[in-house]
Amino acid sequence: MFVVRRMKKHVVTISPSASLYEARECMRENSIHQLPVAGENGKLVGILSNRDIREATLPVALLRGATEEEAVDLLKNTRVEKVMTRKVVAATLTDTLEDAIVLLHDFRINALPVTDDQGRVAGIITRTDVLKAFIEALGVGEISSRLEVVVPDRPGALAKIVTTIKSFNVNITSILTTGHAESGKRAIFFRVATINVLPLKQAIQEAGFEILDPSCFHV
Amino acid sequence: MNRVGFVYHPDYLLHAAPFEHPESPARLLAIVDHLASNGLAARMVSLSPGYPDESDILRVHDPDYLRKLEAACRRGDTTLDAEDTYLCRNSYTIALLSAGGAIAGAEAVATGSVRRAFCAVRPPGHHADRSTGMGFCLLNNVAIAARYLQARHGISRVFIVDWDVHHGNGTQAIFLEDPSVFFFSIHEHPSFLYPGTGRRWETGKGPGEGTTLNAPMSPGAGDEEYRMAFEQMLRPAVERFRPEIFLISAGFDAHGDDPLADIQVTAEGYRFMTRFVSELADRYCGGRIVSVLEGGYEISSLLSSVETHVQELLGP
Repeated sequence: MFVVRRMKKHVVTISPSASLYEARECMRENSIHQLPVAGENGKLVGILSNRDIREATLPVALLRGATEEEAVDLLKNTRVEKVMTRKVVAATLTDTLEDAIVLLHDFRINALPVTDDQGRVAGIITRTDVLKAFIEALGVGEISSRLEVVVPDRPGALAKIVTTIKSFNVNITSILTTGHAESGKRAIFFRVATINVLPLKQAIQEAGFEILDPSCFHV
Repeated sequence: MNRVGFVYHPDYLLHAAPFEHPESPARLLAIVDHLASNGLAARMVSLSPGYPDESDILRVHDPDYLRKLEAACRRGDTTLDAEDTYLCRNSYTIALLSAGGAIAGAEAVATGSVRRAFCAVRPPGHHADRSTGMGFCLLNNVAIAARYLQARHGISRVFIVDWDVHHGNGTQAIFLEDPSVFFFSIHEHPSFLYPGTGRRWETGKGPGEGTTLNAPMSPGAGDEEYRMAFEQMLRPAVERFRPEIFLISAGFDAHGDDPLADIQVTAEGYRFMTRFVSELADRYCGGRIVSVLEGGYEISSLLSSVETHVQELLGP
């Protein structure tokens, strides 16, 4: 669960001295919405979004009788460094996926440039990349069944359940645990690679745990 | 009353687990006994399945998979994966005979010797894809029958209705890119039930985009939700597709009493679904339906559901 495993390593960057026109074309060609700005030695000096470009053309676009050429002229005569965001929220190569999620969430951004220990651009990770990692972690689309158990919030409960599952020679493809509505309890969601979860459920119940039956959720 | 073929072979009971397992010979034996004692079997035309040509199987399955399956049975392996998909020495042979059962039903319907057929076969098939058996399934009986109809009877458009409570992931994968076979599946939502596929946006791929349709049902859903899905999703799909024949992957495990899932369909719900497909078949494809048994693990609800199903295949 590290950023380096999930980031895109081939990053399109742009120079701070490039024009906004070049930046716009570059985004269009690569179907991307943000460009890390790399200065000398590939160091990350800023980030430019397509929204930054749009806002830069506003003064012309709003003028009465303004033409497309005037907007293009403005883009061609404005350097990236003039409108880019200089305080870039970035991840580093040693960051975890959890770091990335928190950054993307807390700063309300869509993409995180990833820098190496020299501050150079080494990759980029987007919300989509992070979501994909979690789709896989949740086992969505993997051939498996859901199993949901409520356990007392104390050490050892999970181990007991896993041992029970093992005794059925069934693989676990995902485990997720969260707090439960009832205090002092946790819910554990498993995805298990079997169609026949009933004997598992019964054995887990016999081991003293509560199974959450999906029909309880039916509204 | 329609002429309905009934496919069964006592050898179907020879595929048996060396341990306790829900997909047991007892299921099928109970169905056969029940249909004999309530007189429904006597109203159907008995059809005997044969062993299919290997070419009929190879239209769907990978030859390497067949060799692997055959070898595993010969070696005496007891399972294909964990303990879901068990094997015994007879399993490969009986899986062929099970596919042969779906073919026998399809053959009789295609030639017009019967109008519909109910194929009481096992092992079931709809989880098996080209190269992997899983979820109690070894060979995909319905897919093999669909390809057989296309290759041997010049039928171009086949419509598969899969109402087993589990998503028919194998059948979907086999026909995902094929616009000539429409795959409709209604099942418990994949977040809650095996196999974890069959979300509503899985609608086919490439040339097959639009000829896969999934109706995932929330846990606790029952006859009314199924009726709505048939009216709102299945009917328009059939009207657009104009099939020449229907195949049903007839699993009866959506019944409320079935222990493997959380859906609350009743035997009357199965009557409704069968009548619904029958009416569409009568309107669009000369009434041609080949129904092939899939799941259903609680004997009493399996029997009451098969009963209403067969009654409706026979019609008034």
